[in-house]
Amino acid sequence: MDPTRVLIDQRLLEIGIGAYVTGALVMFAYFLLRTPVLRSIGMPLAILGCAAQFAELGTRWWMTGVWPLTNLYGSLSLFSAVAVAIFLVFAYRFDFALIGGPVLAVAAIAFGYATTWNEGYMPAVPALQSYWIKIHVPIVITAYASFMVAACVSLLYLFKDAAERRFAARGGSVRALAATPAGGTIDLSLRTASTAPPPDAHRSDTPAIAGAAAAGDATAIWLAGLPSLARLDVMQYRVIAVGLPLLSLGIITGAMWAKEAWGAYWQWDPKETAALASWIVYAMFMHLHTRPEWRGRTTAWISVVGFVSIVFCFLGVNIWISGLHSYKV
Amino acid sequence: MEARRGARLVVPAALAALRGAREVWAELVRTFANVAFGVSLLAVWAIFTLIGVVIEQGKDPSFYAGAYAPPIARLIARLDLANIYHSPAYIGVLGLILCSMAAATFTKVIPRRIPRLGPVKIDAIPLHARVVVDGDVETVRARLAAFFAARGWQVRKRAFGGDEWTFADKNNWARRGVLVAHVGFLIIAIGTTIYWAKGYSGQFAVLSGESATIPENGAKIALTRFAYRIDPVRTKAGIVYQPIDYVSNAKVTGRDGVTHDAVIRVNQPYDVDGTLVYQATYGFAIDFRVTKDGRPLAGAPDRPLKEGEGFPIAGTSRSIQYVRFVGTIDRATGAPAADPRPNDPGIVIQAFDGDNPIGSALVPLGQPVDLGAGFALTPARYVLYSGFQYRYDPGMIFVGIGAFVLLSGLCASMYFLPARLFAIVRPVAGGSEVGLAATTVKGYDVFEDRFREIVAELRRAEPPPRTDVAPTPTVGAV
Repeated sequence: MDPTRVLIDQRLLEIGIGAYVTGALVMFAYFLLRTPVLRSIGMPLAILGCAAQFAELGTRWWMTGVWPLTNLYGSLSLFSAVAVAIFLVFAYRFDFALIGGPVLAVAAIAFGYATTWNEGYMPAVPALQSYWIKIHVPIVITAYASFMVAACVSLLYLFKDAAERRFAARGGSVRALAATPAGGTIDLSLRTASTAPPPDAHRSDTPAIAGAAAAGDATAIWLAGLPSLARLDVMQYRVIAVGLPLLSLGIITGAMWAKEAWGAYWQWDPKETAALASWIVYAMFMHLHTRPEWRGRTTAWISVVGFVSIVFCFLGVNIWISGLHSYKV
Repeated sequence: MEARRGARLVVPAALAALRGAREVWAELVRTFANVAFGVSLLAVWAIFTLIGVVIEQGKDPSFYAGAYAPPIARLIARLDLANIYHSPAYIGVLGLILCSMAAATFTKVIPRRIPRLGPVKIDAIPLHARVVVDGDVETVRARLAAFFAARGWQVRKRAFGGDEWTFADKNNWARRGVLVAHVGFLIIAIGTTIYWAKGYSGQFAVLSGESATIPENGAKIALTRFAYRIDPVRTKAGIVYQPIDYVSNAKVTGRDGVTHDAVIRVNQPYDVDGTLVYQATYGFAIDFRVTKDGRPLAGAPDRPLKEGEGFPIAGTSRSIQYVRFVGTIDRATGAPAADPRPNDPGIVIQAFDGDNPIGSALVPLGQPVDLGAGFALTPARYVLYSGFQYRYDPGMIFVGIGAFVLLSGLCASMYFLPARLFAIVRPVAGGSEVGLAATTVKGYDVFEDRFREIVAELRRAEPPPRTDVAPTPTVGAV
């Protein structure tokens, strides 16, 4: 193996992880303080990490001539890179950078964990020597990554929804005022960015938070600066709408590959069935999202449960359960 | 008289029973078409599917008794969780989901997808705006129609009660997306049903130099040679023996009686008269020699045995099973080494007395092992064999088409938002007032940004308004 290429590979890997870890910290700070300068530091770091990861995977392919997604290292690495790419697209297209912190943190964790599966440069086993690996695996991983981004949006939804209910339980603005320590200040509201109205500030689907914010409650003012619940719901729907057709396509291409490799579309292999279970969960999301009464909190919970099922399908089945998709030697 | 009176009593009773049955049927259809009911079925399906992932399927009861605590092992046995995907409960849930899909498709998806054109209360729709523009009503209507048409909206006008309404639709065709996706499922179901009815599959193993026949179509496959390639690869964890290639060179004779050379690899099945033959497994068959007091024993196996096969020792209650092949025996330790390639090969055998295992041994190839009482066994040589699967699936084309249709429906319903704009122009002092409202099949929030843009574009496109009744689009309680 050319040592220069190995060194390039190693450096790109380090740049990727470094950029994600730093970017995650900066974007968490942006989430808390909403200072534009933090966003303008964090977003380039996300771009840098993502680019470094794609370059690292490309370098591996260039070095070995072997498609880099034949093991858990490659697929986890692609997962974090694609998740960050999806986040970037949504952040720029819909002005939605607030979830950068958790997305980059999960990307960093996934990439860091991937390195523990980095065995070096291995040729592919016969079952994986197929053109399908270049179609099926990226599609499925992109679906997984979009569900991860969706879960981050859903958690933000649930966070704001829980805060709204808490403020409502406290009795809205009057009690919120009383909750502020006499003579004390909670200076979350003093930054201009946090008090600037969000794009959809003309309406409020969190009246208790809005009431408390109007009464000067610092926490409520900070919460009111988050996107509205309706906007968060639309965002989680949009990201899942990317993931579900891709997961469907991934299952279908996987079935076609299975037909070519093993002679049957479907063999009730743990990986197949776990993917089916995840698909069902997101199908539930889509069905419930058609009804206004289920849209929001219920669908957000289903999105979170869906991502848990994805993690089980992606890692749990690969690591703990043996089946046709166990390619470990 | 009696008969007439009886008929007078029976007919109303029958009609009442019919009415009752209709009501029950209507209630049943309503329940099955209910989204919450359908989602509940999906949840049960997901849970059953996950149970099958967590609990290894298709094993013997003894496996579960060993792997789980006794109460759980009993539960697995009693609820048939070891074969959940083929259990009546699982198939029943799938059946209920299909019924629910059918009920929803015929009562909700088909009838309500494209709503009729009709007047609305503009202010009652959460996404609405009123814009006062210059010009008389007719001129503004014409300009409004041109405005929407220029942006790709399908414009239609209808008069209701003396008012002329302008309707603008976008992505109306995508309203059929959900229906198309459900049709995709149906086509896939047809394809799999065709396979169950007409298709077949199976597996067989052929020793190098021998042949096998597919019973369903009579195709003959003679294995000329099987070869494998396993490379040692240095990794961070040490040397790993990575399989690189398995290949069967065969001569295949189909229905026409002509023999063709075939190369069958993993991922590269061979098509013989529409039946696909797949490279599935391989192994090392062993030629055993058994002697008694140095002379060949009658009843010893006359063909190489594959892993798992065995033979009785004639004249005793004992038998020998060939358990597995060991490619390399470590000379220093005498134990199996990591290298699976046959360098210093051996085999593991298990001896039985009746059904009871009485011992096992690792026997180097070519070396005799003393079985006692004058019996000796020698694993003489190995012969590579290739394991094949075959499958004939006449429903494949339907499954492919169904998958394509399903995906098309999903993409249509998720990536193209059908939206309708309702516009009415009324005269006001100094010009005309355009009342504009929007609905979509996915609620209002998803279209809010776009609606705001449309209103802003309308304001820019129209001559400066003198006053606006409601300057911004508003979203009320949805």
